Amino acid sequence: MNGFNLHRAYSIARKEVMHILRDPFTLALALGLPVMLVTFFGYAIDYEVKGITLAVSDQDGGPAARRLKEMFSSSGYFLPVEAVPGSGPVAMLDSGRASAALFIEPEFSKKIMGGGAVQAQFVLDGSDNAKGAAVVGYLPGIQRAAQARLAGQALREPFSFETRFLYNPELNSRWFTVPGLAAIIIGLLAILLTALTVAREWENGSMELLLSTPVRPLEIMVGKLAPYGALVLAGVFFVYLVARLVFGVPFAGSHLLYLAACLLFITAALSQGLFISVVTRQQQVAMQLGMITGLLPSMLLSGFIFPVESMPKFFQYFTMILPPRWFMAAARGITLKGADLGELAVPFLALGLLSAGMLALALIKFKTDLE
Amino acid sequence: MKRTLLAFIRKELIQTLRDVRMRVLLFGAPVIQLTIFGLALSTEIKNINLAVISGPGDAMFGRVAEGFYASGWFKRVIYGSEAPFELIASGRADAVLIAPAGGLARSAARGDGRMQLLVDATNLTKARAVEAYARNIISAAAAREYGARAEPALKFDVRVLYNPAMESSMFLVPGVMGMLVCLITIILTAMSLAREREVGTFETIVSAPLSDAEVLLGKTVPYVLLGVMDAALVVAAGYLIFGVPVRGPLWQLALASLALVITTVSIGTFISTIARNQQQAMLGGFMFLFPAILMSGIMYPVENMPGAIIAAAYLDPLMYFVRLLRNIMLKGGDLHVLWTNLGALALMALVAAGAAYKRFKQTLN
Amino acid sequence: MNAAPALEVKRLSIKFGDFTAVDDVSFAVNQGEIFGFLGANGAGKTTTIRMLCGLLTPTSGSALVGGLGFGDGGLGIKKIVGYMSQKFTLYNDLTVGENLDFAAGLRKLAPAFAKKRRHELFELIGFNKPLSSKVSQLPGGIKQELALAAAMLHDPEIIFLDEPTSGVAPASRARFWGLIRRITGLGKTVIVTTHYMDEAEQCGRIALMRTGRLIALGSPEELKRSAFPGPMAELDFKGAEPKPFISALEKAAGLLELSPHGMRWHAAFADKAAMDAALAGLPPSAAAALIQPSLEDVFIRLVEGAER
Repeated sequence: MNGFNLHRAYSIARKEVMHILRDPFTLALALGLPVMLVTFFGYAIDYEVKGITLAVSDQDGGPAARRLKEMFSSSGYFLPVEAVPGSGPVAMLDSGRASAALFIEPEFSKKIMGGGAVQAQFVLDGSDNAKGAAVVGYLPGIQRAAQARLAGQALREPFSFETRFLYNPELNSRWFTVPGLAAIIIGLLAILLTALTVAREWENGSMELLLSTPVRPLEIMVGKLAPYGALVLAGVFFVYLVARLVFGVPFAGSHLLYLAACLLFITAALSQGLFISVVTRQQQVAMQLGMITGLLPSMLLSGFIFPVESMPKFFQYFTMILPPRWFMAAARGITLKGADLGELAVPFLALGLLSAGMLALALIKFKTDLE
Repeated sequence: MKRTLLAFIRKELIQTLRDVRMRVLLFGAPVIQLTIFGLALSTEIKNINLAVISGPGDAMFGRVAEGFYASGWFKRVIYGSEAPFELIASGRADAVLIAPAGGLARSAARGDGRMQLLVDATNLTKARAVEAYARNIISAAAAREYGARAEPALKFDVRVLYNPAMESSMFLVPGVMGMLVCLITIILTAMSLAREREVGTFETIVSAPLSDAEVLLGKTVPYVLLGVMDAALVVAAGYLIFGVPVRGPLWQLALASLALVITTVSIGTFISTIARNQQQAMLGGFMFLFPAILMSGIMYPVENMPGAIIAAAYLDPLMYFVRLLRNIMLKGGDLHVLWTNLGALALMALVAAGAAYKRFKQTLN
Repeated sequence: MNAAPALEVKRLSIKFGDFTAVDDVSFAVNQGEIFGFLGANGAGKTTTIRMLCGLLTPTSGSALVGGLGFGDGGLGIKKIVGYMSQKFTLYNDLTVGENLDFAAGLRKLAPAFAKKRRHELFELIGFNKPLSSKVSQLPGGIKQELALAAAMLHDPEIIFLDEPTSGVAPASRARFWGLIRRITGLGKTVIVTTHYMDEAEQCGRIALMRTGRLIALGSPEELKRSAFPGPMAELDFKGAEPKPFISALEKAAGLLELSPHGMRWHAAFADKAAMDAALAGLPPSAAAALIQPSLEDVFIRLVEGAER
C-alpha cells in the first residue's frame, strides 16, 4: 500500500504499549491466564481415569470372590466403597456414592474354581461418559488376571497383540495437552483483547480523533495490533518455557516452523478480533462475539480435546474454516512428531490462506467503515 | 424498595436486550452452541485411520483385520509400498496393525501369534481408544477362530445405567449448559458494572438516596433473572434438540439454577468491584471461569485430579451444579445428591453474595 | 423565604490515606444563591461537592446541608439535593423517557409525581423532542440540560453541578447558564464548579480553591477589590520589544502582579503613585490603559501567585 508510514504506525503502537503498561492489572491478567492454564493442564488433567468408586455386592463370600475384589482394588483404577447399610449397589449409584457396582452371584467361587464359566454383573454409571468408556476398557485386563488367579490356569490366548505408542510412548497427558495450549491462549488473548480495545476506542469516541489525523487505516491497524501480537507471543513463549522446563515436554521439530505457525495463527486471530470490533463497536457485544467465534471454537472444535475426525461429517468440513484446527494439527505435528514443512503442507497452506483471508476481510471492513 | 428494584430491572433489561445483536448473543447463541457442541463433540473416538500390513495369503489375519473395519470405529487406509512408520509419520494412518511374520495362523499354532499395533500417540485420547478397541476386537476374533478354548472363564456382563447407549450428548449437554449459564452471567454482570463505572453513570446511581443493599440488588437482580431465563432456555433446547431427559422434578432444576446464578452473579459483581474497566472485568471473569470449568467435571472427571485440585474443586460452584444437573436430568434427582450439592451451592451463593456486598460497600465509600 | 443558610460548612476536611484532599474548609451558602467553586484540576472542588452531596464522609468538621448532617451516612442529604456529576450522567443507549423513568425509580418517586415533574422540567429547559428519542442522538447541549432535569426530578432545594458545561459548545453554555439563573429564580440554591472565568463571573459568590484549601471567598467584585486594591494597567507594546522594559518593571516598587495576556501585559500596583512611577519608562510606541481587573487576573494572582 503506498503511503504507508512506518513511523506513524510506530507512534500508534507506542501509545498502545503505554496503555498496556499503564494498566498493570490487565497485563497481569493477560499473562496470568496462560500461567494458570498451563499449570492446570500440566498438573491437574490426566486422561488416565483412576479412583473409580466401586460398590460390591458379594452374595458368594467365597475365597474367589474375595480375590476378585482384591484384584479390582489393587488394579489401581478402582476404589472400593463400603455400601451404606440398607441401600443396594444401584442405590449407591443413584446417590453418586459409587460410579460402578460389581455383583458377585452365589456359588461364584465354587463354579470358577471348578473350572466352569461364570458371569459377574458389572453396572456402570453412564451419566459420566468420560469415566464410563475408560472403565469398560479396564475390564479385559481384570478378566485376564482373574483367569490366571481364580481359574488356576492362564488363558491360552491363541493370538494377541502388542501396542507400540509412537511419539508419546508413556501416554503422558502433558505431552498431549500442553503443546495445544498455545491455541487456546492465542484464541483468548488475541481475539478477545483486540476486539475489546478497538471497540473501546469506538465507545469512547477516541477512534474519531485518531481518524481525524492524517494517519492511514492500515497504519492504525498495524499500530493497534502489533503490541497485542507481541503480548500474545509473550504468553505463548511463556507456555513454551514451562512446557519444556517444568513438564519436560519434548520438542522434536523445528522451532522456526513452530514460530511461523504461531505467527500465522496470531495474524488470523488479531484480524478476527479487529473485524469483530469494527462490526460491533461496543465492548459487551464484542466480547460475547469474540467468545463465541474465537475462544470456544479454539477450545472445543479445534481437536484440542475432542478429535476432529470423530465429529460428524458436517463438522469435519465445518472446522476447516477455523484457524485453530489447523494450528493444532501443525503444533502437535511439530512438537511431538518433528514433522517438517512437507508433511505439514496442508495445515500450513490452510493456515496461511485463512489468515490472509481474515486479514483482508478485516482491512476491507475497517477501511470501508472509516470512509 | 420495590419501585427502585423495578426501575433497575427495566433499565438493565432494556439496556441488555434492546440491541438485536445482544438479544441474539444472549438467547440465540447458547442454543446454537449447545447444538453445535452436542452434535459435534463426542467422547467416542471414531474414524480412526487404520492400515493393515501382512504377508500374502494370510487369511486368518485378514479376518481379524475385517473385524476392525466392521466395528465401525476404524477406516481403511489404502497405501502403496510405504513402511509402517512412514504411514504414521505422514499422518495418513493413525494406527497400523502388522501381522506376525509367516502368517497369523501358523504363528498362532506355534503359540506365538503376536500381532503388532503401532499407534500414533500424538493424540492421547485417540491412542487410548485405539488400544481399548483393539483389545476387544482381537479377543472377539480369537473366540471366533478358536471357539470356547479362547473364551475366558470369567465374563463381565456390563450394564450401563442412565445412559445405556453411552451417548455423548447425554453426558455433555448438561455440562455445556452449566458452562454457558456460568459464562454468560459472570461476564455480563462484571462488564455491566464496569461499564457504568467507566462511563460515569455509576455516580448518578450512588448519588441517589439508596442503601448499599438497594444499589447492589438493583444491579444484580436483573442479571439473576437473565441467567435463570438462559438456564431455562438451554434446558429446553437440550430436551427438544437432543432429547436429553429431565427425569427429576423441575423444581429441583429451578432451585439448582437459581442457586448457581446467584453465586455467579455475585462473583461477577465481586470481580467488577476490582476491575476498573470492561477489559479488566472480562479478563478477571476468565481468571475465574477457566479453573471453574476445568474443575467442574464437565470434560474431565474431578476424582481423577490430584488431591490439591480436588480440594479446590470443592470451592467450584460449577462442579456442584454439573453434579446436580446430571443427577436431576439423567438419574431422576436423588434427594441425597440434591440436598448435599444444593446445600453446598446455596452456602456458596450466600458467601459469594456476602463477599460481593462487603466489597461493593467498600468501593461505594 | 427564611433566612437560614441553605448550606453551612464548618472546618470540613477529608483525607485519603496521607493525602488531604480538602483541608479545613468553612463557608455558608444562602438560599437562592448561585455559588461557584473555582480552582485548578485537583484543587478539591469535586471532592468538596461529593461530600456535600452525601457521597463521601468527611474525616473531620461538619456541614449542614438543608439543615441535615452526615449522621446517617449521607442518606438524608442525598434525598434533598440534586447532583449532576462531571462525567456524563445519562445512559446513552436509553431513550429520554427511559432515563427519566430510571431516575424516578432511583428516588422512589410516585409515577404521577414523576410525570408532573417531567412536564414542568421539560417546560423549564424547553425540551420538545419525543420521549422516545435515544439520548445518544441528541446534541451535547440538550443532553446536558436533560441531565440537569434528571438531577432535579425529585424537586430538590439544593442542586450541585460539577463542571456542567465542560465540553459543551459556547452557545449552549450560555443557554445552560440562563437555565441556572432561572432555577435560582425559583428560590433554589445552585452550587456549581467551573474553570471558565466567564461563567464564574455569573456566580453570586465564588469560593476559590487551591490544593484543598479555600483561599478566597466573595462576590466577583469583592474578590477583585481585595486582590487588587490599587489600579491595573494594560500594556500594549505594539510591536516594540517588551523584554527590557518588562524585566525592569518586575523590579518596580509597588508592583502587585504582572502577567502576560496574549500580546499584552496586565500590571497591577498598590496605588496610583506607584503605577505612574513604574510606567514612566514605557517605550514611546507602547500604550498603557487603565482597566478593571477580571476574574482571570484574580485567579492568577491568588492561585498561581501563591504557587510561585
